[in-house]
Amino acid sequence: MNFLLCTLSLSYVKRHRLQTLLTLLGVVVGVATFSAIRGAQGALVQGVRDTVDRMAGKAQLQVSADQGVPEQMQESLRELPGIRAQAPVIEQIVLPARGELGSLLLLGVDLLGDREMRDYGFEGEDADLDDPLLFLAQPDSVAVSRELAQRAGLKVGDPLALKLPQGTRNVIVRGLLTPRGFAEAFGGNLVVMDVYAAQALFGRGRRFDRLELRLTDGTGLASGTEAVQAAVGPGYRVETPERRGGQLAHLVDGFMAAFSVSSVFALGIGTFLIFNAFNVSVTRRRRDIGTLRALGATPRQVQALFLVEALVLGALGGVLGLLVGTGLAQSILKTMGSTSELLYGVPGASRADLTPSLAVQSIALGVVASLAGALAPSHTASRVQPTEAFAKGSHQASGAVVRPRRIVAGAALLAASVALSLVAPLPGLPLVFLVLAVASAGVIALAGPAARALLRRAAPPLARLFPVTGRLAADSLLSSPRRTAGTVLAMTLSITFVLGFGGYVVSAKGAMVRWMEDIITSDLYVRASANFVRPDFLFPAGLRQELLRLDGVQAVESFRGTSLPFRGDTIRLVTIEIGPMLDRTREEFIQGDERSMRRGLVEEGKCAVSDNFHRLFGLGVGDVVELATPTGMASFPIAAVFRNFTSERGTVYLDRAVFLERWRDDRVDVFDVNLAKGVDPGAVRGRIRELLGGRMPALVSTRREYIAEVARAIDAFYGLVQMTVLLALVVAVLGIVTSLLISVAERRREIGILKSLGALGAQIGRSVALEGVVLSLVGLALALPLGELMARFMETTVIELFTGWRMPHTWPAALVLTLTVALPVVSALAAWFPARQAARVKVTEAIEYE
Amino acid sequence: MLELKDVRKTYDGKTEVTALDGVTLAIRAGEMVAIMGPSGSGKSTLLNLMGGLDVPTSGSVVVDGRDLATESEESRSLFRRSHVSYIFQAYHLMPTLTAAQNVALPLHIAGRSRGDIEERVSRALAEVGLAPRAQHLPDALSGGERQRVAIARALVTDAPILLADEPTGNLDTARGREVLELLRSIHHQRGTTIAIVTHDPQAAGFCERIVRVRDGRVQGDERT
Repeated sequence: MNFLLCTLSLSYVKRHRLQTLLTLLGVVVGVATFSAIRGAQGALVQGVRDTVDRMAGKAQLQVSADQGVPEQMQESLRELPGIRAQAPVIEQIVLPARGELGSLLLLGVDLLGDREMRDYGFEGEDADLDDPLLFLAQPDSVAVSRELAQRAGLKVGDPLALKLPQGTRNVIVRGLLTPRGFAEAFGGNLVVMDVYAAQALFGRGRRFDRLELRLTDGTGLASGTEAVQAAVGPGYRVETPERRGGQLAHLVDGFMAAFSVSSVFALGIGTFLIFNAFNVSVTRRRRDIGTLRALGATPRQVQALFLVEALVLGALGGVLGLLVGTGLAQSILKTMGSTSELLYGVPGASRADLTPSLAVQSIALGVVASLAGALAPSHTASRVQPTEAFAKGSHQASGAVVRPRRIVAGAALLAASVALSLVAPLPGLPLVFLVLAVASAGVIALAGPAARALLRRAAPPLARLFPVTGRLAADSLLSSPRRTAGTVLAMTLSITFVLGFGGYVVSAKGAMVRWMEDIITSDLYVRASANFVRPDFLFPAGLRQELLRLDGVQAVESFRGTSLPFRGDTIRLVTIEIGPMLDRTREEFIQGDERSMRRGLVEEGKCAVSDNFHRLFGLGVGDVVELATPTGMASFPIAAVFRNFTSERGTVYLDRAVFLERWRDDRVDVFDVNLAKGVDPGAVRGRIRELLGGRMPALVSTRREYIAEVARAIDAFYGLVQMTVLLALVVAVLGIVTSLLISVAERRREIGILKSLGALGAQIGRSVALEGVVLSLVGLALALPLGELMARFMETTVIELFTGWRMPHTWPAALVLTLTVALPVVSALAAWFPARQAARVKVTEAIEYE
Repeated sequence: MLELKDVRKTYDGKTEVTALDGVTLAIRAGEMVAIMGPSGSGKSTLLNLMGGLDVPTSGSVVVDGRDLATESEESRSLFRRSHVSYIFQAYHLMPTLTAAQNVALPLHIAGRSRGDIEERVSRALAEVGLAPRAQHLPDALSGGERQRVAIARALVTDAPILLADEPTGNLDTARGREVLELLRSIHHQRGTTIAIVTHDPQAAGFCERIVRVRDGRVQGDERT
């Protein structure tokens, strides 16, 4: 075997370098995508866990709630037996004015009491930290990690400019943290300040983000948790830092789940490229295989030879893919990190490292994909009969017989994939992979016959339009069904994935934009924070009256969004003055109507839930939502279910009055300001800025601006999905180019015969390029309905599995138009270059070639 | 040694083609037989069946007491490895392997040791007079030399049966004669059973017996 591999296989590779390179590229792209996404995901999850663990220090329990923990809770816990120490914390991600330093984690702690929790290891000659009181006396004091100070060129006494809700402010470095344990959290990008200074800086009012607790020796974790939970009530989470880290990591994992589909897709196409390349390799080497068989090689030996080749190719592609993926992971991590920070307030990691486990997984995946791709061709090779192998041209002409059983099986597989997607017998990703695998098998069975049927119809007009090249192209396409089917199949599968993913993005974004147009109808939006999900500043409730007193302002609504635990998940709770909101918005109701929502929420203290909450938790009108509030468990009957894209984990709406009563937290995220008729929003915006200037942060947006900002947040969410579409496009083009290169290379003998009959090189080049165009259009024609099916599968089944949403379908017209123009051009070029080369070969040599 | 009984071979296609129609033939061990006939007469099919490259549609092909018609693909391959060697009109040499590597190929397939392979390959190449050309690629050899490499490849396994399909078909008269003389000398020296498919009377003249095939049937069987 070694001899055969080192001589026959290696020489084949040398003779077909470009084809081998492109096949290898298929594996490399697949493995690189996988390792990049998994590497970045792993780094992000690990980063989240490390940050939480390191920051926790000696704290054993944490008490938190999305709306914060009131200061007075410290008093009630102080008396609790088993608590050795407690420390309040405020945690905020901030951006330095010098963007190159990256996001910083600002931690507000009580420096007088917090040393019980964390070892700060303050160093330096600065006297301020020897006397924490002096540090506290100056509210702009911060301590930074020594690593950050070094990178930023900071020393004690230097100012550090931070982008804060109130604008860019200088804080003064008055201490350095030793780079160990705690100071290494968030990759060392850590800033510590007094918790009360942070409270003021970030509009936390009289609240902290969490209280950290250390138990007395002899108090068990379980009994401690139970006692604290009983003391604080069900509206607060009492958990260990490990559990909190785990939950945040789980959140990131969930966010990343959808992207696993893209790595599977990339590998799928890579596998298909290998399948195609090995198919061609078997065809090209039929005579050699026949000779080997005549010399006594057994079918198993022949199959093993091809499988070992695939193994080597897969391992090589796996290693190269891993190297490329490790580089790519860094940029993906950057995108993911900022998205997870923006959407979930989860701090990320700064570096994606290559772990041994990821390296083994990636290389193994390359090998498995390669072996899977080569399995069928190697089996075909093992069945090559020497007598058939020696008969020239017999193989190219074979495969024209239409097999009704194959068509029926293909149609049945496609129907089965549709049925599976509707019935959804499996959860999550396994269902997605099963449906895609069954559908792909159906497409593989049907592509050949469908392509032949389309080509038969296309042949006469083609010959009329281009009398010589058109006829040559049509004859060639119809006379080599095996080759044509292989190329069309590669194109169909690739374009289907592009249309499926792309169509889904178009539909999802379209649905969200329409929804925003319907609900964002106020004239001005006053916010204190650019972060929608985890605002870094909240307004006091009293500001509403001040806004109402401004000239031109007719009505002001107070919007507050917060996250809540519900049945082991984290849902979003939205509160606003429901009556005025319903007056100006247009909601799409799934259950109930505007009247039942208005009456239920305003008069009867009920709730309304989003459509995805309804599907995720199986609760609708008439059911009751049990929520943990700071004043105890509360039941809210559902008055209406309506389409809402606030959170992918589900949203519950309450009237503000109910929220104030049960949560006792009157702070506001956004004031929705409605103006009197004819009033210039620009003028009122100026008045609002004047009112708030210097007192608190104010981001005042007009309706259009606000829609654009929310749209940017949606774009950030779909950024990675769009990357997937781009990746799909790259892999699709790669697949198309490889298939055409292989297809043309396979035809040297045929081209030689045409030349011997008087065809000119240029004529052959044009004819083959025309074939490329026709093939791409046939591939596109077949992929259009399949892509439509896949997009609908993504928009309904897949998205519902992950988020509970169903996206109304929008036909991706721009994407289809782009593909219709770009694919024929790419295909024509991919076919023309090798055809020109083939046409330059001597007729006698070409005729000998098989 | 080699016995075909009422062998019939048909090929399925749009219309069924009968290549052999009830052929019965016996070749004794150590015979050198020419199988002659016009194109399409079924002589190559006959040779393929004798070597187990193909199986008959009906009838039996018994070689050394084994009916190849009933054996599996795998077992026919193993049989070929030890009992049969081939020479083809188009040589079927691997273009990327040197003459020595081509000759060594069946030994590698059989899993022989490196020392054994080297020794046998040198001997076989010397026997066909190509030792000085051992490291040349087929492209650098003349047609006659290529066919001699193919003969060396057939000799290297010491198989008792050598089947040659138009071995002189691609050669000029002088080179063809050289090849035939080489085959006759191998037959005499080693006692190898040789069957040569040809439509060249000169080639047939080198054999002890001529079997004539026409329209898939044996039309004549004569000793020269």
